[in-house]
Amino acid sequence: MTSERFSRQSFLGADGQAAIERAIVGIVGLGGGGGHIVQQCAHVGFLNYRLYDADGADESNLNRLVISTEADAEAGILKVELARRRILAIRSTDNVEIFPCRWQDNPEPLRGCDIVFGCVDSFAERRELEACCRRYLIPLIDIGMDIHQAGDEAPVMGGQVILSMPGGPCMFCLGFLAEAKLGREAQKYGAAGGRPQVVWPNGVLASTAVGIAVNLLTNWTRSKPQTIYLSYRGNDGTLVPHPRLEHLRDVPCPHYPPHQVGDPIFKKL
Amino acid sequence: MSVHVRLTRQLYEQVRADLSRLHPFASERVGFLFAQLGNANSVTPLVLFTGYSLLADDRYINDPQAGARIDSQAIRSAMQEVLNRKEGAFHVHMHDWHGKPRFSRMDRTELPRLIPSFQAVGLSFAHGLLLLSKDDITAAVWLPGNTQPAEADHITIVGHPLQVFERQRT
Repeated sequence: MTSERFSRQSFLGADGQAAIERAIVGIVGLGGGGGHIVQQCAHVGFLNYRLYDADGADESNLNRLVISTEADAEAGILKVELARRRILAIRSTDNVEIFPCRWQDNPEPLRGCDIVFGCVDSFAERRELEACCRRYLIPLIDIGMDIHQAGDEAPVMGGQVILSMPGGPCMFCLGFLAEAKLGREAQKYGAAGGRPQVVWPNGVLASTAVGIAVNLLTNWTRSKPQTIYLSYRGNDGTLVPHPRLEHLRDVPCPHYPPHQVGDPIFKKL
Repeated sequence: MSVHVRLTRQLYEQVRADLSRLHPFASERVGFLFAQLGNANSVTPLVLFTGYSLLADDRYINDPQAGARIDSQAIRSAMQEVLNRKEGAFHVHMHDWHGKPRFSRMDRTELPRLIPSFQAVGLSFAHGLLLLSKDDITAAVWLPGNTQPAEADHITIVGHPLQVFERQRT
């Protein structure tokens, strides 16, 4: 069954499917973006999953959470349970470990992943997740979207897909994270309310992220290593390299030096 | 216990390039990789390589019985690096064929003798042996305080492409 199942993606190379199956994939956040990622990873043939989300599904998720039904939302089923159910429904032999908590509360399984998908909401969460992935030499694929509206102007939908590769530019180097942004976010903490989220940009960004992971593992495009920072413009439906890449200096990342890996050691002052 | 090993592709390519250089008389080259531990107290510890130290040509001893034999100064230098970097040391060499590499009988006899020296200067670090082939890797890891090695179950080259090598199950 396995050979027939993946016969339409044999272009990934002779070892392509095995490469996908050997990898341990972590997904942090199983909302609008993470739900799509889980589903696509299962279809493409990932075997080993570590899933993190502390929340249960609710009615406000139903506009975009592709792994949830109305009954799931009514029952408040944990999103990690929904994700596991979807993965095993697609392929019953997959290894799915679920963690209904913040990843920070049980980080060891996450550190053991080969690739992590970050589907988190805030800049602060991104900073923490990237710091962990850098410290344990894990490529992080971050996705996110937001909608802004100023006055009577039409809402502007934007988003990003970033591959943060250990040894390469981080989200600070790319300008996506900055102390000023983190500071502004912290000032607004608790006052933001429910942020706009919809299913179609989640799908675009998640599909792109899964494609990046598959190419990392199989190199089916035979492309050279490159920094990936894609900018999504939802109003015109485009996903393009971020202009910032043109001005990126070819210098080692100063934020995560190569020797700062492994378990942190705390010293008394 | 399942030991996982990771190194960046940049570091991996640096090691391969160095070990591929011809030596005036030795048929193999040797180097030392240095590593930090992650998940140190868990059942899935991670060995995370941070740097590589190559050996100068004159640190090799001409011994036709061995692919490469190195002198005591080379070992002392690696021990000094353990002290300076506060990291574990891994002897690394390469066999020039395809497939899962296996330590030779001489490797299995001679190379573990290095480990007590490394542990003497870095008891709280993981030390070990890394063996490359043309397209695969194997690693023997002595976790802190252990007298016996564990074979790495999962080795990841982190970069583009991202490669995962698993231990050969017998």
